[in-house]
This record gives sequence, structure tokens and C-alpha cells, in this order.
Amino acid sequence: MGRFEKKDDDEYEYPFEHLDKGQVVQEKRVFNDTQIHPRKCSFVISEFLYLLARGDTFTKTEATDVFFAATKLFQSKDIPLRRMTYLLLKEFSTISQDAIIVTSSLIKDMSHKIELYRANSIRILCKIIDASSLPQLERHFKQSIVEKDPHVSSAALVSSIHLLRVAPDTVKRWANEVQEAISNKSNMVQYHALALLHRIKQHDRLAVTKLVSSLIRGSLRSPYAQCYLIRCAVEVIEETNTEDRTFYDYIESCLRNRNEMVAYEAARSICSLKNASLKELTSAVGILQLFLSSSKPTLRFAAVRTLNKLAQTNPLAVVPCNLDMENLISDSNRSIATLAITTLLKIGNESNVERLIKQISNFLGDINDEFKIVVVESITMLSVKFPKKFKHLIIFLNKILRDEGSLQLKQTTLDAILNVVNHIPESKEIALNELCDFIEDCEYPDLSVQILHLLGQEGPLTSSPSKYIRYIYNRISLDSGTIRAAAVTSIAKFGLLYEPMRQKVVILIQRCLLDEDDEVRDRATLYLRLFKEDNIKLLGRILLDDVHVPMLNLQRSLETYLESPAAEPFDISKVSTVIEAHSPVLGDKGSSKPSSTANTPKAMSLAGSDKPAAATGQSAQEAYAAQLAAISNFATYGKLLKSSELVELTETETEYVVSCVKHVFQEHLVFQFNVTNTLNDQLLENVYVKMVPSNSKLVKYEFHLLIESLPYGEPHSCYVSVRIPPGAYPTLSFTNMLKFKVREVDPSTGEPDEGGFDEQYNIEDLEVVPKDYMLRAVCPNFQEEWKRLPEDIQSIQTFGLVSIKNIDDAIKEIIKTLSMAPCEKSEVAQPKANKHILYLSGRFVNGTAVLTRARMKIDGSGQSVDVELTVKSEDEIINEFVSSAFA
Amino acid sequence: MFKNFIDSILNWFRSLFWKQEMELTLVGLQNSGKTTLSGQFAEDMIPTVGFNMKKVTKGNVTIKLWDIGGQPRFRGMWERYCRGVNAIVYVVDAADHEKFEQSKQALQDLINKPPLMKIPLLVVANKNDLPNAASIDEIIDTFELKAITGREVCCYSISAKNSSGGIKIWRQDLTINIYLLNRSGSVNGSTLLNH
Repeated sequence: MGRFEKKDDDEYEYPFEHLDKGQVVQEKRVFNDTQIHPRKCSFVISEFLYLLARGDTFTKTEATDVFFAATKLFQSKDIPLRRMTYLLLKEFSTISQDAIIVTSSLIKDMSHKIELYRANSIRILCKIIDASSLPQLERHFKQSIVEKDPHVSSAALVSSIHLLRVAPDTVKRWANEVQEAISNKSNMVQYHALALLHRIKQHDRLAVTKLVSSLIRGSLRSPYAQCYLIRCAVEVIEETNTEDRTFYDYIESCLRNRNEMVAYEAARSICSLKNASLKELTSAVGILQLFLSSSKPTLRFAAVRTLNKLAQTNPLAVVPCNLDMENLISDSNRSIATLAITTLLKIGNESNVERLIKQISNFLGDINDEFKIVVVESITMLSVKFPKKFKHLIIFLNKILRDEGSLQLKQTTLDAILNVVNHIPESKEIALNELCDFIEDCEYPDLSVQILHLLGQEGPLTSSPSKYIRYIYNRISLDSGTIRAAAVTSIAKFGLLYEPMRQKVVILIQRCLLDEDDEVRDRATLYLRLFKEDNIKLLGRILLDDVHVPMLNLQRSLETYLESPAAEPFDISKVSTVIEAHSPVLGDKGSSKPSSTANTPKAMSLAGSDKPAAATGQSAQEAYAAQLAAISNFATYGKLLKSSELVELTETETEYVVSCVKHVFQEHLVFQFNVTNTLNDQLLENVYVKMVPSNSKLVKYEFHLLIESLPYGEPHSCYVSVRIPPGAYPTLSFTNMLKFKVREVDPSTGEPDEGGFDEQYNIEDLEVVPKDYMLRAVCPNFQEEWKRLPEDIQSIQTFGLVSIKNIDDAIKEIIKTLSMAPCEKSEVAQPKANKHILYLSGRFVNGTAVLTRARMKIDGSGQSVDVELTVKSEDEIINEFVSSAFA
Repeated sequence: MFKNFIDSILNWFRSLFWKQEMELTLVGLQNSGKTTLSGQFAEDMIPTVGFNMKKVTKGNVTIKLWDIGGQPRFRGMWERYCRGVNAIVYVVDAADHEKFEQSKQALQDLINKPPLMKIPLLVVANKNDLPNAASIDEIIDTFELKAITGREVCCYSISAKNSSGGIKIWRQDLTINIYLLNRSGSVNGSTLLNH
């Protein structure tokens, strides 16, 4: 083969470098030769595997052709070729159609006398088999699990881990065999067996505890298995809050294990324990300290990384390693050195900060952006700790800002500088000077705009405002439109806030009147006019005052406004001031002042950092709204006010799976039932849910929409709509019955029989509770709002949460029951706390803002949590209604 | 010594002339007896999930047998294994009259595939030891074998399990009845080749 030739010794070419997929697909015909040539076929298989590894993709047809051609290779008895064939089949089994064709051949290989056949065939089987055909193979799997040969046993165990997802019930029956495999001599098998056994029992906390406590007494030899067991022990400690010391004692005993990996794992686990005491940490840190001076870079890295993490929560515990980490600063491995320095910064004292910063600066060029971000973050923390050192910190951060780097790194650095400026007013001037230099040569417009905004805000208030003007004006003559616009605004602020310069500012702005960018000209014209009219009041409002609503809400309201052809002008006072989505409180000063375009990038980046859960919650509601809007029967119902989360009305493994979403409209409740038919021999027709309300006076049945035809496996929705009196928010419960007509289907042909019969199916009751009328909405300044709301109509009640034994669970329970958003980070309690105050805010579907405060305390007996719940809003009825959730 | 040498040379020459390789694919509806026919028999046969590959050597003749599962989900894959073989062996359960129509349809679908043109077809009416098994003539009529053109067609009435029913062979336009007792039921190379 031509492309296989070697050219020159110094110009070595990789054999597969120019491999072409089309050509290789052609070469698969060697698999079809009457006489199989093992070497030729193996080579072609290597080519296919190389293509896959390189990231080439195969269409379904191509993959299927390759897969079936490769099945012909089962006729060859050549062992190396068979091994390659297994690899190819395994890789293509997931992209090819009808991969089950090899099942029979693989089952035969599972009991072949050659171990390689047995081990590999199992690994492919687990990829192609489905839950229904697995029971046929149970015997083979059980046999392979207990087999002596470690490769076969491991293959069976690992495959079972994969199969646990496909057919959990079948695999769970193999627990005895897996238990037996734990005593296999091979390290690898022990590890795999333990991993599988743990996963089998995963959902049964008691069983896991039993498993772990029996194994820590036993003698697991395999270091891999020991590491896994340590993790299991941590899980038991964290999840059960057990007072039993045996689990901890086991982990501690592992610290003295001769195997470094096990000792490290034990140390790491102790450091990660939520409630570890200083004494417990000391022994773990001692081990890590030893590793710091190890000759192996991996050990040093692992140790310093763990210590770095620990320094964040418990700097005191890390102090003993001070000296060892100082030595690591000059480590030839830069990642280790960086982590060492940042750890030292976290635990360091005022006197050596300067020196450390200097040391980092020396090798800053050698580390990548990711680690630079780590450095920047620890510097930010430092500024809070040692405010006096701001000068060094600012200069250091500026150096990073000016070096080459990604936008992410620079944004983090700029945020860090802004943070320092906010915390330490003295640092303002030096920071501004440095930033002025930076924008002279800044490649990211987003950053320039932010800095110009900051200059406009802070510059006029410094001792010599005039020196900044030159930098800002340079932007106007040199930069792009967006930046010029921000610069004009910035200059105008100088004119507004620093009167001696007003005349000069006017002249500068005049020069912008001929700018080619519309936005720049518009801004210049506006500001100039106001300056000339001496209308400082209006100018101040335009330039300095904040928009009083969160940007996100404003954006959304504007979008809705543009969609509806309304005649009246947009009214900003109608925009909601509550931050929807339970993002953390936006404490950053910059973000709560979204006053001009200068701040948009900032606001955007904050929006992006919302917790994903919130984003999905929001989009789920929007998706429902779109879905319902598409159904004409609901067209007159108005805006969808709230959609509940999914409520399961059946177990997930039943014949028919039903779940429900409750939608609240102004005067209607709509129940959306998602129904899935899991029987492949049935076709359901005219499916609907018959609901009987507990109190028929509160609601009036309107209509239902049925599912005309519900084939196997495809979920569809049917709906029931009821009318509620305007302004009423009834709590109700419904008993439900799924009704439908069954037609038998021949699973092989998919043709339904004629006729059919009516059938009904019991599903669980459904409740409409207060939280179904409540939207999560974060209140940015909870305390002020709390004081503002009237006290005389608040609702207070006290109750006990029975069988909840710790604060964390109580917090979760209360948030879940009320469906409101936690504020002031009050959803996180102190570790081991026995009392806590939780602040929640929400918006009732009629728009009323609701705040609640839950004071909780663990009952003296330790068996329940006492709660005092106060609900405040402007509406007494709503207060009572919300607190009735716990009645 | 010298004679042995001559003998081995002679044997080698003979094998050159007579060496034969054949590739056959066994298809047919489920439970028609394909796997049993390929030489594996057990009282509790489980349906073939996919295919079995078997090599049989008798004298100088080597036969590669591809035994493909007969369940509906595998029928679409028959064609892939029939391309380029020396003969397609289509197995019918002669005692299961209800399935004849379905089986005939599956056979028609298969042999009408353009890539399989001209490949000789052997229809094996299996299970002729059962009392209600259809006779070879019935099979030929029901499956309209005489109407098939463009390829060699052959029909055997046999029992893969026990040969109490003997073997009947039909070849396009002559019918031979052979009654053989106590013979292994498996089709082997020589029987096929001699006709």
C-alpha cells in the first residue's frame, strides 16, 4: 500500500494520517471473501477503529453495512482477528441497526473455551441486549461473574454495571454472585465487584450501611476496592449523620495504609467531610504533608490540590504545611507551584503577601489561563483579608489584565479589580490610573465599555478628574462605535459631576456631532442640548439614575409589549420589580445599577450565571404556555399564571404511566395528564381522565380533551378544564380514574384488532394546594421589604415537622411545601446547627408579593423540628392561605 | 516408504480436482427447524437470536452454513446473508399448515430481491415424520415451486430429527422417491452434490 511507505527517517509519517473514510468503507469487502485473510481483515478493522477515534462519523446505513460485513468474520478461527472483530462490533453496535443479529453468536462465545472470547463477547452483549432478552442469559452472566479468570469476571461485572441501567431488576438478582466475586483474588475484580454491589444497593441506605460495615471489618486487599470503600464510608457518614465512629475509624486507619493511593484517598475524604473537627483534620493533613515532599509529581499535585481546597473552608488546619508549600513554589511543575502559592495566599499573614505576589509574578508567563483564574480568585479573597496591601494587588491584577489572555480570564480579573475598588475606597485612584492605561490597548470591546462606565462613575469624584479626560477622549478618536458611544456618556458625566470642567466637556462633545455612528451622534446631541439649556436635573436623571427594575424583567416586558399590538405607550411602572428565577441575591454593586448600555455586558453575564435549575424552570413554564396556546379551547383563558411541577399519579413501572401538571389561569384550572402506554400489544383509544372533586361547589367542570389514539411507547396528553370563581383560589383534592378503550395489537405486525373493549384504570388522587398558586420570585432586599409590609395582618403559626431530624431537611421541606424562593442565602444552614431562620419570597398568581420567615429549631428530643412561620403580604387573605399549606 | 510417498502425491492431486467449497444460507420462518437441520439438536431448543455459523467438512467438501433466525425481526436481514452464496436453503415446517401462506410470502419476498437472482434454491419440507405433515407434492403446489424461473429449484421432504419418514426429492421436472432408513437427517454435502 502506497500510503504505508516510510519516507525519510526524520520525516516519519503516521500510517493512517491521510485515511479517507469512503475508501475504508470500500475496503470492508475483504470481510466477504470466501477465504478469510486474518491479517488483511485485522488491518482494515484497525482503520475503522482509527476513523472512529479520529471523530469521523458514519451514517446509519454505512455503520449497518460495516457491522453486518464484520459478522461474517465469525467464521474465522484466528484468535487475533476475533479480538479485533469484537472491538469493531462493540464500537459499531451503538450506531448500526439490528445489532441484535450477533446475539446468538456471542452467547455461544460466552461459553467458549478461550477466555478472550468469553470476556469480550460479554462486553459487546451488554451493549446490544435489551431488558426483555436478558433473563434468557441470566445463567451465563451469573456463571461469568463467579468465574476464576479475572478478565472474564471483570468483563461480566462491568457489563452488569452498564446493564443496571437497562434492566435493574434482573441485575439485582445477581447480588449473591457479585458478593462472591468480592473475594476473588484479583485486585481489579474486587474493585469491580464492590462497585457493582454498591450500585445494586444504592437506593437502599440501610443495605449500603450494612454492606460497608461488613466490608470494613473484612480484609479487602485490592487498593482500588479500598479506595472505593472509603468513598462508600464517606457516603454513609454524610447521608445518615450517624454517630457511629466505626466508619470514621476505618477511614482513619486507611491513612496508615502502605499504598499511597489508599492513604491519599483517606486523607482527601477526611478533608471533604462536612463536619470534620480540627483534630480529625490534623491527622489527614499530616499525611498530605508527607506527600508534599514526595518525589512523585502526581502525589505532590494531589496533596497540594486537596490542601488548597481545604484552605478555603479551614485555613487553620493547613497552616502546619506552610513550610513545605513554600518549598513547592519553585517546583518545576507549574501547576503544583501555582496551587502552592494560592494556598499560601489563603492561609498567609500580612507580612508575606508581598513576597508571595512577587514570586507568582515571576512565573506567571508559564501557567495557563485556567490556573491564572485560580490565582486571580485567591487574590480577590486576599484583598478582603488584607485591605492595606491593595497597591500590590491592583498592580498585580493589572499585569494579568495586560498580558495575553482569554476574555474569561480578563473578565475575572476586571471583576476582581472592581471588587477591590468597591471594598477599599483608597484603591480607587490607583486602580483607575491603571485601567486608563489598559483601555489604551484593549482587544475586548466589552471590557473597554465596562471600564469607561466605571471611569465616568468614579473619575469625576477623584482629586484630579481632568487627567482621565484625555484617556476617554482618545477612545472617541480611535475606537469602534460601541466604545465611542460609551466614551461620550462617560465624558458627559464628568461635565455633570465636576463643574469646573463643564465648558471643556461641552467642546469635546461638540466634536462628536459629526461622528459616523448614529448612537454616538444621538447621545452627543442630547447631552449637548441639555448642557446648553443648563437642564442639569434632567441630565442627572438620564446619566446617573438607575432604572428601577431588573434588566431581565424589563427585557421580557418589552418583548411581550412588542408582540401585542397595543395602542397605549409602554409603561415602565408596570414592569415587575421582583427578580424571577431564584438566582442568588445580586449583591454586586455594579449589577444593581444597570443604568446605561455600559452595563449591559455585565447584566448579561449575570443572567448567564443563573442556576440552570432556574433556567429550566422558567423555560418549562414558557414551553407549557406555548403548548397550551396552541390548543384553541384554551384561547380565551388569558395568560397562563402558573404551571406546577410534574406530579406522578402512578408508579413508573406500571402498564400505563400517568403524570399530571396543574395549570392555573385567571378563572380556570387546567389539568394536563401525560399518559404513556407501556404495553406493546395494546392500542388505547379515547383516553381521558375522569376527575371527581372533593368539594364540587368550589369548581365547575368545563370540558375535557381526550387522546384519540395512544399507541405503545408514545406519551400523549389529555386535559381536563374546570372553572373557578374569579378571585378564588380553592384548595381541593380529586379522585381520578383513567378511562379508555383497549384494542389488542399483534406486536410483530403492529396491526390492531377490530373491536376492542372499554377499560378503566385506577390512578392516584391529585391535590390542588396553596403552592400551586405561588411563583418563586427572589426579592433582592428582603429585610427592607419585610419591614415595609404591614405587621397587623401578618399570619403567624407554629407547628412541628414530625420525623424531620435536622435543619437541612427542614429547610428543604419548607421550600418544597411553599414553592417559594429562598433569599439572603438563608437556604444554607450552618453545619450541625440546631436552629435557623429561613427567608422566602414569592409572588402569588394575582401579582401580590409574599414574604415568609420561618424560624426553626430542633426539638429537645431530637425527633422533630419546631417551626414558627410568619407570612407577610399586603393581603390578609393571602397570608392565611399561604400558611394553610402547613395546616 | 516410497509407496506411501506416491500415495500422498496421488491424494494431493485428487484433492486438487475434487476440492469443493460451498456456502449455504439456511432461512425460513421461526420453528421450522433450521438450527436442528444444521446439526445441533436438543429437546429444548431456544429460538436463534441472530445467526449461527457452522462449518462442515466431509471428505474434500467444506460447507459453510449460515443459519439465520426466523423471527420477524430478523427477516429483513436474510438478504444480507444470502448474497453470493452457492445456494439458499429455505426450510418449511411441513406440519404447520397454518403458516404456509406466511412462509410462501416470505420466500417470494426473498427470491425476488435482485441481488439474489439466479442463486439456486433448495426448499426443505422438514418434519415429515409427523403424522399431519404435508407431502412433497402438496408443498410444491402450495409454494408454487414449479412457477419459479430463472434459477435451479429443488425440493426435499425430510426430517431433520429422525428419518422415519424417509427422504423424497423433487428436481424441477423429475421426481425420485428414495426411502432411506436409519440415516442421520442432516443434509450433508454429498447428498446435495449427487443430485
